[in-house]
Amino acid sequence: MNRHLTEKELIEYQFELVSDSRAKKAAEHLKECSQCREHLQQLNRKLASLDLLREKITVSNEWLTKVAEQAGQPVQRRIIPFRKSAWLSAAAAVLVVGLLLLFVSNLPKEREEKPEFAKETPSLLAPYGARRDSGQESRGVAGDIKLEEKMDVTAAGDLDKSAAETKAFAFAFPEEKAGVGGGLKRAGGRAITEGEIPEQPPFAPASAIELVTLPRRENVQLTIYNSADLTLVRERRNLTLKKGWNWLQFMWANTLIDPTSLVLEPLEQKDKVRIEQLVFPARLRELGRWLIRSEISGQVPFEITYFTSGLSWRAFYMGTLAKDEKTMRLEGYVRVDNNSGDDYENAQTRVIVGQVHLLDQIAELAKRQYPYNRPIIEGLGEPGGTPGGDVGLRAPTEAPAAVVLGDLEMALERKEIKKEGLSEYFLYTIEGTETIPDKWGKRLLSFEVNDILVKSLYKYDEERWGTETIRFVAFTNDEKHNLGQTPIPNGDVKIYSQADDLGYLSYVGGTGIKYIPVNEEVELNLGPARLVTVEPKLMDFKTENYLFDSKGNISGWDEVQTWQIEVTNTRTLAIEIEITRGFGTAYWQMKFDQKDISFEKYDVTHARFKLNLEPRNKRTFEYTVRTYQGEREQALTELMRKGVTK
Amino acid sequence: MDNTDRNLIDAHCQGSKTAFAELVRRYGEGLFGYLIRMSGNRDQAEDLVQETFKRVHEKAHTFRGTQLKSWLFTIATRVAIDSLRKRKRIRLVSLNQQADCADGTCEQLETLAVADNSCEPSQEVVLTEQKEQVRQAIESLPARQRATLVLAYYQELSYHEVAEVLGCSIGTVKAQMSRALRTLAQRLPDIAGDIK
Repeated sequence: MNRHLTEKELIEYQFELVSDSRAKKAAEHLKECSQCREHLQQLNRKLASLDLLREKITVSNEWLTKVAEQAGQPVQRRIIPFRKSAWLSAAAAVLVVGLLLLFVSNLPKEREEKPEFAKETPSLLAPYGARRDSGQESRGVAGDIKLEEKMDVTAAGDLDKSAAETKAFAFAFPEEKAGVGGGLKRAGGRAITEGEIPEQPPFAPASAIELVTLPRRENVQLTIYNSADLTLVRERRNLTLKKGWNWLQFMWANTLIDPTSLVLEPLEQKDKVRIEQLVFPARLRELGRWLIRSEISGQVPFEITYFTSGLSWRAFYMGTLAKDEKTMRLEGYVRVDNNSGDDYENAQTRVIVGQVHLLDQIAELAKRQYPYNRPIIEGLGEPGGTPGGDVGLRAPTEAPAAVVLGDLEMALERKEIKKEGLSEYFLYTIEGTETIPDKWGKRLLSFEVNDILVKSLYKYDEERWGTETIRFVAFTNDEKHNLGQTPIPNGDVKIYSQADDLGYLSYVGGTGIKYIPVNEEVELNLGPARLVTVEPKLMDFKTENYLFDSKGNISGWDEVQTWQIEVTNTRTLAIEIEITRGFGTAYWQMKFDQKDISFEKYDVTHARFKLNLEPRNKRTFEYTVRTYQGEREQALTELMRKGVTK
Repeated sequence: MDNTDRNLIDAHCQGSKTAFAELVRRYGEGLFGYLIRMSGNRDQAEDLVQETFKRVHEKAHTFRGTQLKSWLFTIATRVAIDSLRKRKRIRLVSLNQQADCADGTCEQLETLAVADNSCEPSQEVVLTEQKEQVRQAIESLPARQRATLVLAYYQELSYHEVAEVLGCSIGTVKAQMSRALRTLAQRLPDIAGDIK
């Protein structure tokens, strides 16, 4: 063989599809031709991928037993004896009736009034009418075949109807099993012209073969209510409908979708497309089927809305203090995690800040075996919506106002998060769309603000933090601080400071923040500060002004304490510090005369000192506090009434 | 033909219920494997197996052949091809199928997509993707070619048996197989070194 082997020849050689002589020739050629050998190897590599589907497929013995039982069940047949004479009579009767009707319609009025003709007509129609009343025989063989099919459907347990209803239905819709309109049909014994839709809807299809095509999502919007493990999903799909009745299947296996929340709505042609029912077939788990009545054929955009669980989000922040610690750059992030069991591709993502009230946990609803309790095959007509039966139309779920969908953005592009207020909670919309596969998390930048004026503050309060000085960074969520457009959701904050001119950062501290409304000041607690210390010392203690009762017992006295506070700043920056002192009683009086240190009564039992301290500096101040004990409390009250003290 | 198979058929025709159950137990799994590869959908394959055995139950008395297995596969093939024809007119696409399957021709082949726990997650994703490509390639074949390929390659029937099942000559089977493989060679992914 002088030429190279073709792909066809190589395949046929490899899979022994050629005669022995041709196989031998091909083998000889392959021995000589490296190019053909390489081609063959390449083909083998490709076709070897077929082995990926060569996994062992197993079925349970229970299922096989069920198959054997169901296959062995006798099919309910309607045997119509085909008696030539009867059918000929029937055909003749129809012909005669037709001719008579034609004749009657062409008669002049006076002939119509003839009594004998009026008597004659019913007698001719009687056989036909009797057959119609007695059953379906008059429909002929074709009608019975359809009837058998419908009875099979019932036997499969797919329908929640009585046998009588089933028969009636089969009669009414001999060609409705396919679930689409068109064609000559009969409805309730009435002939339906082509294009007319039967009024009564068909039953749910027995198998998946009869369902209508549904294309991929056009777009999807997620609204994540974090507080309740609840996400509203709104999908848009362009569904191709046929005129008549259409079945649409929705499956939620292995997801956390709440089947009770499913809503389907046409976005266009609302006057011509109607959602009739949502049914949950009894034998089939984790799927629902919508029945759609369409007066048009063609593509119609639909919105499918449902709740799911498993999607969550959380906010977190990174603050970077400037070297002088007077300004801070704050970056806010939102991390969205998807554990819902479904992939959301190019989803517009919105997150809700605030609490929503739920009657049931969506995850619990999603895990239920059947949407509406366990199906009872024999006990038909269970209250509260029996599975396998019709659930009927659902009112559209109340959902936050829709936001116009943005254009698709590249995934790597930084997204803007738009915020808008709702009645009792706040909605953040992430610009563009995001693809969030199942089991994935995605961090999105929420906002980025530079030069937020901040106040670095140290606080000392033994009753709250013991003997440690605590460092705070404070700012206000308002326009003056380049913020204030929206509330800030709660989340963790980590604060860094610039360590040098090269931009290296050092970690300062971290804390969690609660929801910060607009115009509200926030103080971020960054933890103990080791470079700023406060050391109080009791320098003097005495008691005086004793009062005695009539029996000579002490009934009141004053305690006078003198404290020395030593504040040390070993940092290279000047600091501001608040020192709070408590006295354990509301009856106290302070003697403090340091002019450069502010002092205020913070609350009824506490006083607060504020002072600034230069870098690497130490400052000491003293105060004397007099507390009034027992009946001496009255003395302080009297002094205050007279305005002697504040 | 296996005497036991003949005995079972005869017993079933004489009204034995256990004989038919034994037939289902013996061939049910094989037929299910065949039909799931033909239909690409587990639910549908279950329906098709049910339909196949229903027909076997009704027509058992007409069986005069020598190969029960071939006869069963013949019925299953007819059932599957009928179903595929219907599906061309009215196709089922579930909402949770993979986005790439939007044209409705590739329902989830759930049984075949069982994750290999020994794989790393990334490898698992790649493997699932490759399986999906293979499945789509097979589903794109015409019904007769698909049946030939599945019977010969996956069910490991000889070309002679395939010819018996499909009711055609061996030459026709080989021609169908050749065409199917050439089509697949164009559509299958090159997974050099990936197959274990």
